[in-house]
Amino acid sequence: MRTLLLALLLALPSASLAGERVLVFAAASTTDALQEVGRAFTKQQGPRVEFAFGASSDLARQAVAGAPADVFLSADTAKMDQVEKAGLVQAGTRVELLSNRLVVVVPVDSKQKVASAADLRGVKRLTLADPAAVPAGLYAKGWLEKVGVWKELEPLVVPTLDVRAALAAVEAGRVDAGIVYATDAAQSKRVRVVLTVPEAEGPRIVYPVAALSRGKDSEAGRAFVHFLAGDTARSIFERYGFIVLSGKPQP
Amino acid sequence: MIEISLRLPLARFALEIDARFTSASVAVMGRSGSGKTSLLESLAGLRRGARGRLVVGGHMLLDSAVGMDVPPEERRMGYVPQDSLLFPHLTARENVRFGVRKGRPSRVDEAVALLELEPLLHRYPVTLSGGERQRVALARALATDPALLLLDEPLAALDVALKERVLPYLLRIRDEARVPLLYVTHQLGEARVLAQEALLLEEGRVRAVGPADAVLGGVTRGLLGMEPEENILEGSLERPAEGGLRLRVAEGFSLWVPDAANLAAGVHAAYAVLAEDILLSVGPLTGVSARNVLEGTVRRSEEAGVGDRVLLVEVAGVSLAVRVTEGAVRELRVVEGSRVFLAVKTSACRRLR
Amino acid sequence: MSEGELPLVFFSLTVAALATLLILPPGVAVAYGLARWEGAGKGLVETLLSLPLVLPPTAVGLVLLELLARGSPLGRALDALGVEVVFTPKAVVLASAVMAFPLLVRAARSGFEEVDPRLVAVARTLGDSRVRAFFRVTLPLAWRGVLTGALLAFSRALGEFGATVLVAGNIPGRTQTLSLAIFHRTQLGQDAEALRLAGIATFIAFAAIYATEILSRRRGARARA
Repeated sequence: MRTLLLALLLALPSASLAGERVLVFAAASTTDALQEVGRAFTKQQGPRVEFAFGASSDLARQAVAGAPADVFLSADTAKMDQVEKAGLVQAGTRVELLSNRLVVVVPVDSKQKVASAADLRGVKRLTLADPAAVPAGLYAKGWLEKVGVWKELEPLVVPTLDVRAALAAVEAGRVDAGIVYATDAAQSKRVRVVLTVPEAEGPRIVYPVAALSRGKDSEAGRAFVHFLAGDTARSIFERYGFIVLSGKPQP
Repeated sequence: MIEISLRLPLARFALEIDARFTSASVAVMGRSGSGKTSLLESLAGLRRGARGRLVVGGHMLLDSAVGMDVPPEERRMGYVPQDSLLFPHLTARENVRFGVRKGRPSRVDEAVALLELEPLLHRYPVTLSGGERQRVALARALATDPALLLLDEPLAALDVALKERVLPYLLRIRDEARVPLLYVTHQLGEARVLAQEALLLEEGRVRAVGPADAVLGGVTRGLLGMEPEENILEGSLERPAEGGLRLRVAEGFSLWVPDAANLAAGVHAAYAVLAEDILLSVGPLTGVSARNVLEGTVRRSEEAGVGDRVLLVEVAGVSLAVRVTEGAVRELRVVEGSRVFLAVKTSACRRLR
Repeated sequence: MSEGELPLVFFSLTVAALATLLILPPGVAVAYGLARWEGAGKGLVETLLSLPLVLPPTAVGLVLLELLARGSPLGRALDALGVEVVFTPKAVVLASAVMAFPLLVRAARSGFEEVDPRLVAVARTLGDSRVRAFFRVTLPLAWRGVLTGALLAFSRALGEFGATVLVAGNIPGRTQTLSLAIFHRTQLGQDAEALRLAGIATFIAFAAIYATEILSRRRGARARA
């Protein structure tokens, strides 16, 4: 996995360089937006930002296992709680940063019509990020349970490693439809959004972020989290379709 | 009746054989690599590149002119390879029965009886001696009632004692089972015993073909490249007054041979004496232990192998091959026409029949 | 084994067995061909056949995925026939079969190479066609090599992950094998369960490999006899 390789590479340089580099573990859905934010941060403040994108569940597990992440941006609160419980979060740095919407997508040339969750029953195969662990999948499952069609749809589900993998499966036409974030769909020209999950039906999606400490607090990590809550980052996130939350620091 | 008109390209030369045989047993002889085994394999149908005509017992096996090439499984040739090649995972009985199937002629019981395999039938090849394995292989080939038995040096892998024991079986196959044999061998003695016709191959070509006596006797022995060379001497046995057994080969040429109680005077017999067992002297031999001392003239002197020569010595009209070293020939100054004396020990005379 | 584990193990064993049976006839045929025939292009064939052994399994899985994708000729033909492969247990069998094939061929081939080809020649003169001779002489003498190949293929199929996850997905209850389940459990943070499954997998693999060891010893013994 990329994250492990990155961790190995980072283990090699001497500690004095630690201030010059920030390693950010972030949910796959934030890939494009966050890379742009990272470049802006480096231009403004100096330290290089390196990313490891993936399913928040995987990233949390690796952080807890000792991976040297300085910042963690999770797609749901549960994974951040997990990391916080392991004592890795720098006090006062946890913030509810972003929110998102769920959408149902189909391959761009598909004629499939989905007006509501119930219409998904007509689909042959539906892909989600692993609904057992990955936030995007958990949110999708939550929605489908809420509208009462999960039991019927469960046999049709093809779980993927993370939400971008689900997107890719739809792009390649390997499945008939998928449930991903609105921001993911916006990034792809090869899928078509057929349904945006209404707020009333959908789960509350929250992306918390925090600076992590690995025995030693990372200054640059804290700076980056602070930057994420600032105006430059905000405008980038909004351009990509994210909903930026008030950014109040959590107690 | 066997008709062979065969062309087969080999590694160093091509096999080109035209011959016809009518007898019950044919010996095929020649130096190693002269194409003997390839001929056998072509007859069996195991050589894809063979061209020409092959007819055995009235059955056409190969006729390139009309594109006919009968596959080996339909040729009904009994093939017995040099090292018996029994199927190791089957018992002797299963080996013998291998080619037997419903609707096909079978001579299993006859083969088993002929080759005396009863006590061996339940055993696996790995537990059998060389001679026993050869007998099983012979029975296996015989059991399918073949039109012709192709034997590739069947006795070569056996020691002298075993050869003696298996040879009679081959004779029985020829005479009692009445299956014709085509027999590749290195050994002149065996060929003389078994064969009625002979084919001599040299570099894939027919060097001589015809009745066995004519082909195998005489001066061409050296060219056969056979080792060890043997002298075959035939005649009638006599029991002289002073005791012992003697073979009267020709007028003035008698050979003392090992005595055996069951041999009566007057019986026709054949004995073999290896060329290397004959001692040569340029002066008269006296006081030597060998009972046979013969006088003769050197008619031919040929190179034979590394540092050896074979001299063909005429004794009372009979040609004997004597193997000596180059050094000896030089030292003794033996040339064609030289008068020499030969000593042959009684024990060196081996009875053939 | 707890409730969830039994069907999982059963599924994995079944899939591995099916994959092995699937490749057995073509594998034996190819192994025999390689053992007996010398010809132009033999080296090329051997190299191609060895590819799944050295390529990353994910690469192989990707190739399979592309071959079977909706857009490809094969994918369209299957679609027309109403046959689904990708993301079904069929894909698991297929991925395992492809990865296990070279192992079967190698072991079976060495079994065949130990059989004296002249024995087949003799069998033919005794009236057997090439095919009959193969079944009556060659195969009985080479069966240990073939069985070893089958066991190795079975073990490989059981442990298959990279190709499987790509072309069959990791769908619990449908395409999730033992290997995939171990990975999934770790993703869910269920390390204890993952370890238990790993233990089961180890046990099965151990038994299979041990059997091949016994077989090869018996082969050696017979060859020396």
